[in-house]
Amino acid sequence: MPDPDDTATLLHRCANGDRAAFRALYDRWSARMHGIALRIVRQPSLAADATHDAFVQVWQQAHRFDPERGSAEAFLVSLVRYRALDIVRRTARETPGYEAEEQEDESPDALSIMVATSEGAALQRCLSRLEADRRRLIVMAFVDGLSHGELAEKLLIPLGTVKSWIRRSLLSLRECLAS
Amino acid sequence: MSDHDDFEPLAAEYALGCLEGDDLREAERMMANNPAFSRAVAAWQTRLTPLTALVPPAPPPDALWDRIAASTAPVPDNVVPLRRVRFWQASTAGALAIAASLAAFMILRPAPRAQIAVLAQMAGGTPIFLATAEPDGRLTIRPNGAIGVPSGRDLELWALAKGDTKPHSLGVLPVAGRQMAAGLAPDTQLLVSLEPLGGSPTGQPTGPVVFGGTLTQVN
Repeated sequence: MPDPDDTATLLHRCANGDRAAFRALYDRWSARMHGIALRIVRQPSLAADATHDAFVQVWQQAHRFDPERGSAEAFLVSLVRYRALDIVRRTARETPGYEAEEQEDESPDALSIMVATSEGAALQRCLSRLEADRRRLIVMAFVDGLSHGELAEKLLIPLGTVKSWIRRSLLSLRECLAS
Repeated sequence: MSDHDDFEPLAAEYALGCLEGDDLREAERMMANNPAFSRAVAAWQTRLTPLTALVPPAPPPDALWDRIAASTAPVPDNVVPLRRVRFWQASTAGALAIAASLAAFMILRPAPRAQIAVLAQMAGGTPIFLATAEPDGRLTIRPNGAIGVPSGRDLELWALAKGDTKPHSLGVLPVAGRQMAAGLAPDTQLLVSLEPLGGSPTGQPTGPVVFGGTLTQVN
């Protein structure tokens, strides 16, 4: 029997108009989603906007979530990430009030925090096979929401190199995860 | 090379979030129009999501739940409290990004699908109205900020179906937005004109069109 409080079930209950399930989903996910938004937009009030907008979409679009296409976690995370990315792509990134940690630790050891889930363990294993500078690009792009151009500028790597390293790294990740 | 191999790198990069400029717009277009592409993006998002374990959780401000609860409360007809209306700060490009990000995990049905439109100011700038047309025919229009109308005038909402030359009136549009029943076809343009109090006396717009946008299906 499915756990009535797991994320996919809560989403399903939201789709049926269950406000208690919506609140439970908020209690479970808001700190993670807000953390993700804050890391990308680096400004508390914009992060709150992104988290607000993502939860409004959760409520309004829960009935359209298709578990065959991806996990409920990925659905929630992608809602807040795209909202946050959209905010930073359209407004110049500013940093008043909040300074993100500049130095990301993407060594295989640091990534071991991901092994709590089997999917995380597989991704960690495959990321650890990438060369360190390419792994850094993937982690910084996803976690900090940095674009090709921002990565090139920040890491002092030519734009073309950033693009080709990311492209090749993603394809080798896919092969590794499929094996 | 198969189509799948052609778009796989772009799908992966869109899921990773590193695209910008023309590449980003191309990916957003494909999210809206190519179900196989959006499916590939969803698979990539699921693959990469464990990386979020690297981000420390940060509790949102205490007041955020109240704001979300207000934004998701049922909307009575014709009455939308202004506090609630601060919705997506969407430009036209922003609306495409929203539609694109939603597309990845959406159930694919040939029909029905919701449609959204951003009614941007013809003169540019903000605030704007956001329109959502549900498959059941419900149309919701909400502003994303305080919209000013000269005293003695009303805003009136018009629908112009694709291929038509004359819009039909959907009635006066309060500055706080409105929900109504209006079965609208895809690609219908929504226009908002400035009219005398109570709306146009002629059945056609008599004042300038101040907001406008086109309904687009959310895939």
